[in-house]
Amino acid sequence: MSADKSDILQGTLDLMVLKTLDAMGPLHGYGIARRIEQISEEALQINQGTIYASLVRLLQKRWISGAWGVSDNNRKAKFYSITKAGRKQLNAEAENWQRISAVIGRVLRLADHG
Amino acid sequence: MLTWIRTFASRTRTWLSPRGVDQDFANELDSHLDMLTDENIRRGMSLEEARRAARIKLGGVTQLKETNHELRGLPFIETFLQDARYAFRMLRKNPGFTAVAVLTLALGIGANTAIFSVVYAVLLKPLPYANPNELVSAFQANTQEGVPETGTSYPNFEEWRAQNHVFRELATIDFHQLTLTGLGEPAEVNTCVVTPEHFAVLDVKPLYGRVFLPEDGKRGAPPVVIVSENLWRGTLEAAPDILGRSLILDKRPFTVVGIMPAAFRSPFINSKPEVWIPLVQDPLFGSWMARRGGHWLAVFGRLKPGVSIAQAQVEMDAISERLASEFPAENKGWTVRLVPMQKEIVGDVRTALLVLLGAVGLVLLIACANIANLLLTRATSRSKEIAVRTALGAGRSRIIRQLLSETAVLGLLGGVIGVALAYGGVRALSSLLPDNLPQLNAIRVDNFVLIFALVLSAIASVAFGMVPALFASKSDIQSSLRQGSGRSGESGNRRHARNFLAAAEIALAMVLLVAAGLLLRSFSKLTSVSPGFDPRHIVKAEVSLPQFQYSKPQQWTAFSDELLAHLKAQPGLQDSAIGIPVPITNGFINLGFEIVGVPPASQSDSRLANYVSVSPDYFRVMGIPLLSGRLFNQQDIASAPSVTLISKTFAQRYFPNQDPIGKRLSFAFPPNPDNPREIVGIVGDVRDMSLGDAPGPMMYVPFAQAPFWGANLVVKSNLSTSAVTAAIRQEVWKIDKDLPVTDVGKLPDFLDASVSQQRFRTFLLGLFAAMALILAATGIFGVISYSVSCRTNEIGIRVALGASRATILRMILRETLLLTFAGLLVGVPCALIASHLIGHMLFGISVNDPITLAAVAITLTTVATLAGFVPARRAMQVDPMIALRHE
Repeated sequence: MSADKSDILQGTLDLMVLKTLDAMGPLHGYGIARRIEQISEEALQINQGTIYASLVRLLQKRWISGAWGVSDNNRKAKFYSITKAGRKQLNAEAENWQRISAVIGRVLRLADHG
Repeated sequence: MLTWIRTFASRTRTWLSPRGVDQDFANELDSHLDMLTDENIRRGMSLEEARRAARIKLGGVTQLKETNHELRGLPFIETFLQDARYAFRMLRKNPGFTAVAVLTLALGIGANTAIFSVVYAVLLKPLPYANPNELVSAFQANTQEGVPETGTSYPNFEEWRAQNHVFRELATIDFHQLTLTGLGEPAEVNTCVVTPEHFAVLDVKPLYGRVFLPEDGKRGAPPVVIVSENLWRGTLEAAPDILGRSLILDKRPFTVVGIMPAAFRSPFINSKPEVWIPLVQDPLFGSWMARRGGHWLAVFGRLKPGVSIAQAQVEMDAISERLASEFPAENKGWTVRLVPMQKEIVGDVRTALLVLLGAVGLVLLIACANIANLLLTRATSRSKEIAVRTALGAGRSRIIRQLLSETAVLGLLGGVIGVALAYGGVRALSSLLPDNLPQLNAIRVDNFVLIFALVLSAIASVAFGMVPALFASKSDIQSSLRQGSGRSGESGNRRHARNFLAAAEIALAMVLLVAAGLLLRSFSKLTSVSPGFDPRHIVKAEVSLPQFQYSKPQQWTAFSDELLAHLKAQPGLQDSAIGIPVPITNGFINLGFEIVGVPPASQSDSRLANYVSVSPDYFRVMGIPLLSGRLFNQQDIASAPSVTLISKTFAQRYFPNQDPIGKRLSFAFPPNPDNPREIVGIVGDVRDMSLGDAPGPMMYVPFAQAPFWGANLVVKSNLSTSAVTAAIRQEVWKIDKDLPVTDVGKLPDFLDASVSQQRFRTFLLGLFAAMALILAATGIFGVISYSVSCRTNEIGIRVALGASRATILRMILRETLLLTFAGLLVGVPCALIASHLIGHMLFGISVNDPITLAAVAITLTTVATLAGFVPARRAMQVDPMIALRHE
């Protein structure tokens, strides 16, 4: 079941998916996975399937919506796009994330100097 | 929160229509795989290779689908439903097991629910009045004379009311029947005789009109009446102009001033009230209002808000001390006792009901032990299945969950059937319940009772399901898988658990059987005790004379003389007499008296005896023997010297070692208290209060010298009751066609009714004990049968090695008896504790009655042996060849 993974990892992936959709516009699952891999410069090698759990969670919270469409190379694919609520959530989360990472960064620096 | 709700809503939606969503996701994954394959081909892989790499990159498709399904739906409910479906399949496959388990449980739940519905209605439901915990009953008590609680007199009540500062209001209530005429046939109406504040204390409003005003309670006020909605809608045909019209009660017009809603009941009254009248207008008690002596008035009140019953008691103590010093003749030694009204109404029914609830709880416990045992047995034979599940990756909690789902399904089935049984049970109980049980009309299976049943079946299923589930999930996979049959290698723990449960059933059954046995023996002693008179072939009837028409004692005597003469002229009626009150059926009149010339030894040494007014033939009709002196005769009339007869106990208590005949008594009762009565004879003792109470001192006076405004007839005849009743009616109506004849019935039936509560609890406890015995026997049978089938191999070897059949039989029976004796060993002390708890319900036998204990022990041993004998016979017939090939 989904509860096996820690919340923070789930949250991170959800946030990355949201950000990707925000930046790129409507994308299918493959596209999102590919994009995350590229942006992380292939540092984040994931089983591409894992993003579907993330997509379900985001769909259930109505932060994204999904619809079937046709891809660039003429394949049927389900396209996801960020909703208004999703964008709001993204802004809040991003801010939060930055604050936390800033704090953690500072703490780590402090530890280095100490 | 909002997102959580959205998620849940989405999950529920998907769960309700899962197929499309799963297919959609499968398509999505296909499309993803295609795109990955395309990419790989672009990188130069072969199609085959590209597909393989794509699958690796995406991850396990089945797992993804599974995760997706769980994420989208409601997995918890889904697994439960899956388990439940599976459980149903398993239960259907074992119809015998299922039927036994479900029926056992249903009986347990049904019996508990039925009894609980009575307990709830009688003990737990608050009284149907506003702020019922403010309502209090007030009694007079006299510890020196051993009177725990009795009524008071009207002048005392007035002092209580005027002097106290703790009650918002005090009121009184009495109950009897009046004759309603002028509307078709003369009818008896249930009449509540109250002081005007009755309605204010209970805080009730009339449906129409008004309640009584203080003026209505004053002497000389015009007679007014309040009628019930039922009487209004029924006999009065819902007349819209009823207010202001008059009703003829006991030949006297009462003006209707109000209608009370149908749901309203006055407290302490078990019959449906039909009219309320002010005490001052009552033909029966109205004339008693001026007398300060006497204890006939039931008082209750509502405490002021914030006043505790203890505070009120302090105040009433002060008032009763003042009254005792002001009116020592009537109030010396008497105190006031306050009791919460609910407690007073419930009375001693409480313990009886709690005992029954406890008993029926024990039955359920035995039922649970039985089902746990069945499940344990089954779990053993299913250990292989469980091992396979574990090997395939089911976790321990998952297995426990599955087994518990099975027991939950069992519990639910048992609960549903149990509730159905409870509906029937409550109906049966209602016809069985003694009429004098309070709140009788409130007993039903309502929502609260249903919740009780639900909770009970849930607790029960966890109780009998948890043990086997824990055992089963702990089983060792390896050894279970290796065993061919999956049953011979039973773990010792599990056998111990089963033996423990079977012995516990015996112990619990012992407790119930001993309790039932004690009650049964008490009841048979109670009903075989001689009441001191011979009730056979006697019909009793009551005729009450309207006081406004028959106002003079001479008229009462004339009426009764005429009636008795008429009845004696009837050929079918052997003998007739008058007695007021008739023992056991009419209650008793307890009066003080003085022995002329012998002052009491001390102030507190009061002389009391039960008083009966009789016609001369009463003793012959009732079969009460004359011990010495003479009986009353036709010459003992009002103008003749006053005479009295005393009972044997009276003579022994008040005239020890003397001849009482010729001594004179003076009574504190009209018509002529200053005219002492000479004792002319001694008659046999009579149990006049109840069959269970030893006879007290009694004194008899001739009806002609101490008449009442009515008569209790006792008529001896071999004719049928209905023929006798018809004859009595005919003769009464010949004298006055407006007189109702009431409370008619065979005297033995009245005696029977007087022990209805005892009969009720004895019957129910007996029923529960019988259920316990059957369940315990099935328990023993199950354990021994299973043990025999597990030991088939061993038995085969023993027989092959030369053990005789008798040896085998002995071996199995020894096992049975060991279990039984272990149960009895624990059961005896438990039973003794239980019998002390019901000690006060016993009559004529000791709490530790050895006969009952021995009889129960023997019964249990016999039944257990029989239950063990069936499988033992099977063991005896084991063919060694087949047994050894068994594995």
